Amino acid sequence: MKKYAMVIDSSMCIDCKACMASCKVQNNVPRGYWRNWIKHTIPDFSQGSQTRTHFQPGGCMQCDNPTCVQACPSGATYKDTQNGIVRVNEALCIGCGNCITACPYDARFRHPDRRVPDKCDFCFSSGRLERGLLPACVDTCPTKARVFGDLNDPDSDASRLLREKPSVRVLARGGIDTKPNMYYVAATAPTDWVGEVEFPGAFTTMATLVNPVVKVAVGLSALGVAVMWAKQIFSPDREESEHESSAPGKD
Amino acid sequence: MKTQAKTLSRRGFLQASAAVAATAAGVPALKGHLATAHAAGAAPQAPVTSHYTVCDMCFNRCGMIARVQNGRVVKLDPNPKFLKSRGMLCARGNAAVDHLYDPNRLKTPLLRKGARGEGKWQQLTWEQALDHAAEQFTRIAEKYTRCGVMFSPGSDMQSQFLIRFAEVFGSYNVTSHETLCLLSKNRAYLDTFGETPYADVLYSKYIIISGANPLEAIITPDTIDLMEARKNGCKIVVLDPRYTKTAALADEWYAIRPGTDMAFFLALTNVITEERLYDPAFAEKMLFGLDEYAAHVRQYTPEWAAGECGIPAEDIRRIAREIAAAAPAAMIYPGRRSSDYEDSTQIRRSMAIANALLSNWDRPGGILASREVGVRAPYFDVPWYDDNPDDRIDHGMAPGLIHHEGSFKLMRDAIIKEEPYPIRGWFTFKTNFMQTAANRNKTLEMLKHLDFVVNADIVMSDTAWYSDLVLPSPSFLERNDPVSALQGSSACACAVWRDAVVPAMHECRDMLWICTELSKRLGFPESFDFTLDEYRKLQLESIPEAFEAIKADGVYYNPSKVYGIYFDSPLKTQAKKIELFNQRYAHEGLDPMPVYKAPRRKEGAFRLVVGRTAFFTHSNTNNALLIQFKDENTLWMHPRSAARQGLVDGEMVEVASAAGTVTLALRLFEGMEEETVYMATGFGALSPELPLVHNRGASIAEVLEDHADFISGNMAMHETLVTVTRRVG
Ligand code: SF4
Ligand code: SF4
Ligand code: SF4
Repeated sequence: MKKYAMVIDSSMCIDCKACMASCKVQNNVPRGYWRNWIKHTIPDFSQGSQTRTHFQPGGCMQCDNPTCVQACPSGATYKDTQNGIVRVNEALCIGCGNCITACPYDARFRHPDRRVPDKCDFCFSSGRLERGLLPACVDTCPTKARVFGDLNDPDSDASRLLREKPSVRVLARGGIDTKPNMYYVAATAPTDWVGEVEFPGAFTTMATLVNPVVKVAVGLSALGVAVMWAKQIFSPDREESEHESSAPGKD
Repeated sequence: MKTQAKTLSRRGFLQASAAVAATAAGVPALKGHLATAHAAGAAPQAPVTSHYTVCDMCFNRCGMIARVQNGRVVKLDPNPKFLKSRGMLCARGNAAVDHLYDPNRLKTPLLRKGARGEGKWQQLTWEQALDHAAEQFTRIAEKYTRCGVMFSPGSDMQSQFLIRFAEVFGSYNVTSHETLCLLSKNRAYLDTFGETPYADVLYSKYIIISGANPLEAIITPDTIDLMEARKNGCKIVVLDPRYTKTAALADEWYAIRPGTDMAFFLALTNVITEERLYDPAFAEKMLFGLDEYAAHVRQYTPEWAAGECGIPAEDIRRIAREIAAAAPAAMIYPGRRSSDYEDSTQIRRSMAIANALLSNWDRPGGILASREVGVRAPYFDVPWYDDNPDDRIDHGMAPGLIHHEGSFKLMRDAIIKEEPYPIRGWFTFKTNFMQTAANRNKTLEMLKHLDFVVNADIVMSDTAWYSDLVLPSPSFLERNDPVSALQGSSACACAVWRDAVVPAMHECRDMLWICTELSKRLGFPESFDFTLDEYRKLQLESIPEAFEAIKADGVYYNPSKVYGIYFDSPLKTQAKKIELFNQRYAHEGLDPMPVYKAPRRKEGAFRLVVGRTAFFTHSNTNNALLIQFKDENTLWMHPRSAARQGLVDGEMVEVASAAGTVTLALRLFEGMEEETVYMATGFGALSPELPLVHNRGASIAEVLEDHADFISGNMAMHETLVTVTRRVG
């Protein structure tokens, strides 16, 4: 069993966007959408010659306590017990979009054509891990600010870095610890990009009470197919995926 | 998850991750065409094969592994064994997939039908296109001599074939893109050290970066090494009127007044000489003219410099002492695109001299001489043509012209004047002067004096759009290229080549084929009577072991000497030492030591500086992936300056210079020196065949005035003063 994680030394990030470009090519991420991003602090120019900016790479945190999984009524979003990656079984997805708002990191978006949630999966579905390659963002990063590995393997890059340097995690606001598997070496700044977990109101009860049943039902039956068909017709496009620092723009 | 810190060596780390990727990717077994296992998942997928190549999205030539599936390039990954690029690929390298499959690629040879720039084209067969080109070149040669054709070979790995072609054809008028780029720096270091140096960033302990932005204008391995060195305790001081990414990550950033860098370095060397902070043994052995120089800079005190450049005197003093203490593992970063002011060679010489006083030449963490790579330029006969003029058209127009590069700016002036002799033809290959050279209107004016312009490129660049004949080239992923020698820091003196990753699409033909075919038609077929394989063999004659290495790893490293190359041999300068005082300059009536001249200023006008981001290259911005990071350029200005002009954030402004006027959106940004405005390159293309940047944002070529560095003739890109006003109507 593996427990994949990313360890990021954000002090090494130069905001070159190689990771974002590499990810888009590897995973065919549609135009205008991103699975990973770079956030940055606002420089305080009153500091004069000491003015600095901190760049902070991010992406899905592959949480151990994934609120996106809890929010998913159909069991489509699940945590893969073999490797710790939070994945989406598109065949089961009913397109309700709950997982998108339930993620405090804004890591998910609705794929504009496939109408299912999309997010980083450490390049699992693109086959890189199986071929023994690092995730595309990690592989391409000039300064190796992004490091990847199996935390159950003490010799992995990620384990070693975690052992040798103090690290912190970016936590959701509002008291829910999603137990993210993305670690930031030393400092994390900016931290203000993390949001609160938002379970859809009507859903909160359902998630705790009915959820297991629904999951089983949907998982077992052709119901899934029916709802899938429904979602293709009804689900609206949502714009939550626009990360402000990754959105295209005049610059 | 807190553990006690123990320093993890980034080098070890880089190697470790490289090793993971290497074994995992099956790189030892990856000999060009290795099939790797298909991906998991329900649907079985076609196998992915891996192929070594070398990136061409900019001049750095980073090592790449192309992943090909069903005959298509699906992904480009870094080659972990490639030390020059430290096993990375930047955003542009990743976006080469969109470069390859750009729907706007040129597909067939095209002959202009209407007026230039009108966009009326007739498709030709290659046979017709080559016949036509040969006929035009012959006609021009007969009427205006062979020097009547100008060649601009770009900086492609096949450019050497066009240079060879030009020489055999008989024209001296070859000008490269370097004439818009780094000739001033090259000139300055040639005239100080006798060589153009490489920076050993990784091992440096103190670096001053002035007139360069290596964290955005990515240069390998310097960009990566800068971050690594910084992590290992290297101090970085940046002087730049703009808050760049390099400034954002530096220890200290000074928003220096544009064009006053020399004042800072004269004052810095004033402190080092006055306080005798240099290494006396090194000075004794290596420096020529130290006493004259020390006397010369006595006038240039930090207090004086502060008034010019806006950096406090106490900071200049402190920085001088700090960097001298860190020497010799310390440097003034030599920079790359150093063509900024009319005084550029002297500005760069003031930096070169500061390096000399840090005694960092040829030593770890300092600036290094070129290393032996072993790649030879195959010999060829250069014929003599009796009727040719004595020299190139820009000969003698700048005292420090670098002969095989020339000066595009001065050549263009000469062509327009038709003096000293006329030029009527132009052959350009993968270079886009229409978008990269200052004063586009003048380039358009030059075209009026040319009878025949042929352009070979991948897409319809602005230069292609105004040509008479357009030849479709394969992208770097579709061709076999000759061996190229690369250098960079102490890490590498290496040799690489490219083998096609996928077959050439459409009717694209490479430059070797074009030169071979043209040489047959022009009567010198013996100059191109070799295959690419034969040519590579000649190139690697002295290092036959390189063949296997390149096939196995995609790169060959020469274990040549890194440091101390000149410890026992004289430098290639007139004095055989580092020339603080340049005797040749004195002889030619130039200042033998840099003399400060304040940059021009004009009431109410701003100095326009240009640059780029880490995800765009020069004029190659029409890329479906990269354009998503930034779809338009804007004019950056300090909020206080804008307030004085009554301008507000986001509004459309007119930026006017003596060369032209452009309109673009204003972006207020506190990270600007108040007299300076900035815009990025690559937008406002004229060619509608570049739909992502056509009429989007504004072109620097439209508004930059054409000035030249007095000594090297290099285009001076930061001499333009502009007014900025609200767009009316
Ligand atoms: S970051 Fe968001 S999408 Fe990723 S596992 Fe955590 S909650 Fe789910
Ligand atoms: S590739 Fe690396 S350095 Fe570049 S933006 Fe991404 S994390 Fe930062
Ligand atoms: S720096 Fe980027 S664009 Fe330039 S050669 Fe390297 S990967 Fe390619």
